[in-house]
Amino acid sequence: VDYPRTVTELTERLREGGYLADRGLATTMLVSLSLRRPVLLEGEVGVGKTEIAKVLASVFGRKLIRLQCYEGINTGQALYEWDYARQMLQIRALSQAEVTDERSVDKLFGPKFLLERPLLEAVKKGDQAVLLIDEIDRADDEFEAFLLEVLSDFQISIPEIGTVKAESSPVVILTSNRTRELHDALRRRCLYHWIGYPTEAREAQIVAIREPQAAEQLTRKVVRAVHRLRELDMVKPPGVAETIDWVRTLDVLGETELTQETAGDTLGAVVKDRDDLDLVRDSLAEIIAGA
Amino acid sequence: VREQSPTQQDPFTSVLIGFAHELRSAGIKVGTDDVLTYFKSMTPLDPTDLVDLYWAGKTTLLSRHEDIATYDLAFKKYFLDEDAPAKTQLMLRPQSVAEAEAALVMPGTEPDSADSDEEPPVLGWMASNVDALKHRSFTACTPEELAALRRIMQRMRLTPPRRRTRRTKTRPAAKGTHPDLRATIRASMRMHGEPPGQLFFQKRKTKLRPLILILDVSGSMADYSRHLLQFAHTAKHAAARVEVFVFGTRLTRITRELTHERVDVALEEAARTVVDWDGGTRIGDSIDTFIRKWGRNGLCRGGVVVICSDGLDRGDPDVLALAMERLARLCHRIVWLNPHKGDNRDFQPSTLGMMVAAPHIDLLLSGHDLASLEELAEMLPALS
Repeated sequence: VDYPRTVTELTERLREGGYLADRGLATTMLVSLSLRRPVLLEGEVGVGKTEIAKVLASVFGRKLIRLQCYEGINTGQALYEWDYARQMLQIRALSQAEVTDERSVDKLFGPKFLLERPLLEAVKKGDQAVLLIDEIDRADDEFEAFLLEVLSDFQISIPEIGTVKAESSPVVILTSNRTRELHDALRRRCLYHWIGYPTEAREAQIVAIREPQAAEQLTRKVVRAVHRLRELDMVKPPGVAETIDWVRTLDVLGETELTQETAGDTLGAVVKDRDDLDLVRDSLAEIIAGA
Repeated sequence: VREQSPTQQDPFTSVLIGFAHELRSAGIKVGTDDVLTYFKSMTPLDPTDLVDLYWAGKTTLLSRHEDIATYDLAFKKYFLDEDAPAKTQLMLRPQSVAEAEAALVMPGTEPDSADSDEEPPVLGWMASNVDALKHRSFTACTPEELAALRRIMQRMRLTPPRRRTRRTKTRPAAKGTHPDLRATIRASMRMHGEPPGQLFFQKRKTKLRPLILILDVSGSMADYSRHLLQFAHTAKHAAARVEVFVFGTRLTRITRELTHERVDVALEEAARTVVDWDGGTRIGDSIDTFIRKWGRNGLCRGGVVVICSDGLDRGDPDVLALAMERLARLCHRIVWLNPHKGDNRDFQPSTLGMMVAAPHIDLLLSGHDLASLEELAEMLPALS
């Protein structure tokens, strides 16, 4: 399946996959797909940074390869590792059978003993993969520098085997929550897009796509209430993911209406901080009344 | 690059280049290859559609969130305004102009800038009584003495405490808990497959904790903070990750401005960023802003936060108390430098702000003279 060539077409295909991309995000993704440049996505928590990669992969039949970054991640976890335990067993087996020919030694460093990690897998799959490098800001500086190298030419050299090079580079999406400043070099290698909160109408559409069975009235009211919540001075304002969660929660409980009582009972789906909870409970009546 | 850039410029090319110039003069770093990417990005898009021009430029020419507002203004100026340069050169589709106008939500001026001058500084007289301090405090130094102090400070290094990371290093050892098979096998290969004489083990590395300086630069503290800013600059050059914030009525991050090599340039630039220089103090609100915008995202997680302020807070004490409590939960240790403490060992905080903040402070120092800053540099590594 080829990637689309116009913004409209791409938006439409993503929509079929359950993702409503606005014009800005769709443009960024289209440019990324046609120039084969990685995209760096930043934005509020829970606005669908990771989701876009998943949907992109599923809609266009690509394999989603996810590299979740964390502190201390190293090349052994991101690139490849030899299966040392198996190699040692093999060596023992070989020496007991007194096999000493060269080929059996070569096999020790063949594909059978190579554990592919996400980056190597993505380079091998090339065009057939969507590589999601999630929360890059959690990895340390050193890893970022290494990643830069891989992203620049999609080429990985393994001393025992040789160089693996992607025939056509995979689609690469990086996400960051801005817990630390990323290096300019990495930023410059990527296209950049900031995903903000959607407008009320758009968010209602998003929820309708994700939770089609929920009552329309309920969806509309919940979205309006969430938008009111975002205006409050909250420590952790609810993202789109929370809106969807709230609608789902209410729907599971069989509610078709957002009342002060039902909202109060299910507030835990949207408000995830004690201070925020106090703040919201104080003005719950207003929030619901306006919705 | 040279091959691809057209020698004969068509109007479209010169408009895009002109726009890049506009962005540069607005202070956004735009490289030549960024502009080239902008060109290339137009291939799948429609160059006569202003909305496409807008979004493609945004994704190819920008690389950080802070620049978005500047970009929007520059775009408006260059493509949409009455005398916009692009209007005369490009035949833009009229309906796309209308669409772009609608799509662009123009940011107003900084939301906080309006109220920063509302209240005149009234606390100067309370804080100016610092002559009672016994040691030669920074405020009492002659310019020559200050220059000498500066030179000494440049040599001082702030070293934050260390913590264990998840990163490991490998070493040959007789015993250990996590054997490193990769290194062991590699060593064995070098011996032509003989079992290596020694096993390799992995050991967790340690790493300096991040250091976050939050400096008060309001009226009563301006003099001290100028020197502390100098100190902050030397800290930035140490190996650790250092973040620097300054506050008065509001909080500003100046880490990026401090990356300049020369101290004076960095200081001048920082002074420009902190528009509320010599204004009033709102410690509680400032720390609250810090937590909301940076702390919550993990900037100070596991780090040492050094706050320098006299605790003369004009905001609500409850806000400060709550903010300090949250800050204490987010970071590893809080150090508070209060120049009014001076050399007094039995210093009792007298300002309301200090009293409210006291329960959450791990270490209270003065920071009013060089000796006390040395004390800070000395005690910092032990705060693990």
